[in-house]
Amino acid sequence: MKFTKKISAALLASVALATLAAPVLAADIAVIAGSANDAFFNRIKKGVDDATLVIEANGGSVNYLTTQNYDNFGPDLVQLINTAVSQGVDGIAIPVWIAESQVPALKAAAEQGIKIMMYNSGADVKDDISGINYFGSDEFVAGEAGGKYLAEQGAKKILCHIHVPGAVNLETRCDGVVAGAEAAGAEVVRLPTPASIDSDVTGTSEALKAELLKDPSIDGIITLGAWSADAAAVAIQQSGRPVKLGNFDLSPSVLDRIKGGTQNMVIDQQPYAQSFLAATMLAAYIDFGIDLPTDPILTGPGIVDATNIDAALAGVEAGAR
Amino acid sequence: MGNLSFSSLIRRPEAGAFLGMVFVFLFFSLFGGSTFTSFAGAASWLNVAANLGIIAIPIGFLMIAGELDISIGSMVPASSMAIGILSGYWELPIAVGIILTLLFGATVGLINGLLVLRTGVPSLIVTMGTLFAVTGITLFLSIYITNTTAVSLSAPEWARAVFGSFYFNSYQVIIAWWLGLTGLYVFFLHYSPWGNWLLAMGGDKESARNAGIPTEKLTVALFVLSSTSAAFVGLCQTILFNSAQVSSGMTFIFNTIISVVIGGVLLTGGFGSVIGIFFGTLTFAMVNQGIYFTDFDRNLSSFIIGVMLLIAVLMNNTFRKMAVSYTGPKSKKRG
Repeated sequence: MKFTKKISAALLASVALATLAAPVLAADIAVIAGSANDAFFNRIKKGVDDATLVIEANGGSVNYLTTQNYDNFGPDLVQLINTAVSQGVDGIAIPVWIAESQVPALKAAAEQGIKIMMYNSGADVKDDISGINYFGSDEFVAGEAGGKYLAEQGAKKILCHIHVPGAVNLETRCDGVVAGAEAAGAEVVRLPTPASIDSDVTGTSEALKAELLKDPSIDGIITLGAWSADAAAVAIQQSGRPVKLGNFDLSPSVLDRIKGGTQNMVIDQQPYAQSFLAATMLAAYIDFGIDLPTDPILTGPGIVDATNIDAALAGVEAGAR
Repeated sequence: MGNLSFSSLIRRPEAGAFLGMVFVFLFFSLFGGSTFTSFAGAASWLNVAANLGIIAIPIGFLMIAGELDISIGSMVPASSMAIGILSGYWELPIAVGIILTLLFGATVGLINGLLVLRTGVPSLIVTMGTLFAVTGITLFLSIYITNTTAVSLSAPEWARAVFGSFYFNSYQVIIAWWLGLTGLYVFFLHYSPWGNWLLAMGGDKESARNAGIPTEKLTVALFVLSSTSAAFVGLCQTILFNSAQVSSGMTFIFNTIISVVIGGVLLTGGFGSVIGIFFGTLTFAMVNQGIYFTDFDRNLSSFIIGVMLLIAVLMNNTFRKMAVSYTGPKSKKRG
């Protein structure tokens, strides 16, 4: 009978729908991150990918949203927050990089009952946006460790290169470098470079070299990204001076240099742990009401130098570092 | 060419671009002190100009012909990763890596050119499509193959000597490539029939085709040239810095177009010169790098870049108008 067939089909369909809709309580979350072109965000993505396995096993879902680039960073992030809200997610895991742009949007999201978990950056605005917890390195503490390290290695005047002037986490890193270095008796010069040479290794390298030529007393450089450390390494080699080099975030060439002795150290905030923990703990908060008493939870800084380079290289092989 | 007088020199189309450059040079010589003009300091902006200039001239050709190629922004990192993966990760001979990388650049250029011709969609949009497509493929493949977005490469000595090393301690070898290619392009645009074809195309494509100019072949060739040039710069950077990463070239889009326009190429096409673009690129590089020699507050860098570039372009434009309307010294009336 056609009619009964139709009825049974309709029944089957509704059963299927009900099964799909059954874990309605399970968390649907969005994780917002920067451009996937950035090596750093691939560690973040690996953390999110692994967290997704856990969250999906509990019947939830994860939507990973990234900005295309950093040209229009603040507005782009707000756009992603609004996208997540309009998709009706239960929670958002997000770093706050451009506080002025993001805080109002996240506040509005929180007022609609969306839970906010923070990672990577912006711990100081956590209360403003009713954030649950923060997973990340404290940028200031990390910078402090880096500044102290180079100063203790003998650097007297350190250049702190900022490749995206105005970005909260980068400025705070340099603040930390200043504090750490000054406490250890060294001076710090900040160098913000304009967007016209962002991600441009040649332009940045020449800019750093120009600074080294202009000021012969600079004997240390800290860059806030891995690519800019490549640029700095060439600038130092060109200057012909023994300038100490440290940077934030790992990359193969950074590790090669540390192994080869042409770079002193790299500060790792272990991004894999940040996104993995932020995503899983956000879902656990929504699904099971689990809230950790330690707040914030620091995932860094971990300093990689000649003493522990081999262990770090093993982590890189695995794609998680 | 017989009467190489001051008035004929100053009436050349690139004279305005030259004066803009002189202004910028004097400005930074004044505020940048002696390091800006010193041997090592000059390398700083020449290196940047060379990397930019190798792509800027082909982009200038496209703009003269009334087209645009923004996909170079993804070609620089894509080719950088290509050679990094081929010769770094897979450890193929560097020559194989270089040839395949350049072929890859040519292929993307071919796709751009054919798409522009066959679809009739403006080249800005077509190359925007390939810009994103190539970026995505690069990211996907580099994660798929290497599980990371950055690879390291240590090239053999001969490859470094030819493509990516420093001479006189601070001059990148790519400067020689830039000068050589500029010479070649000057011949192409100003002394070969193809140059006239190109200018005619930019002026009026329809009439150019009616006049028997192979506009389609020329268009495709120009896209192949710009894309291959971007691939060349990408591979040179990788060899020099021993490292390639997925994101590195987006600034090239904006910076090449700016250099070309400072060099006096009209945004509407049909007018421009290789030497003008050459000066435009140098101007841009000086402005961009010059600030690091000065004592200005580094937070003002972008502001200074903006103002200086605007002044350079205004000087060029004003001067070009004056040059075009200049009639030379009035000949003495006889009788």
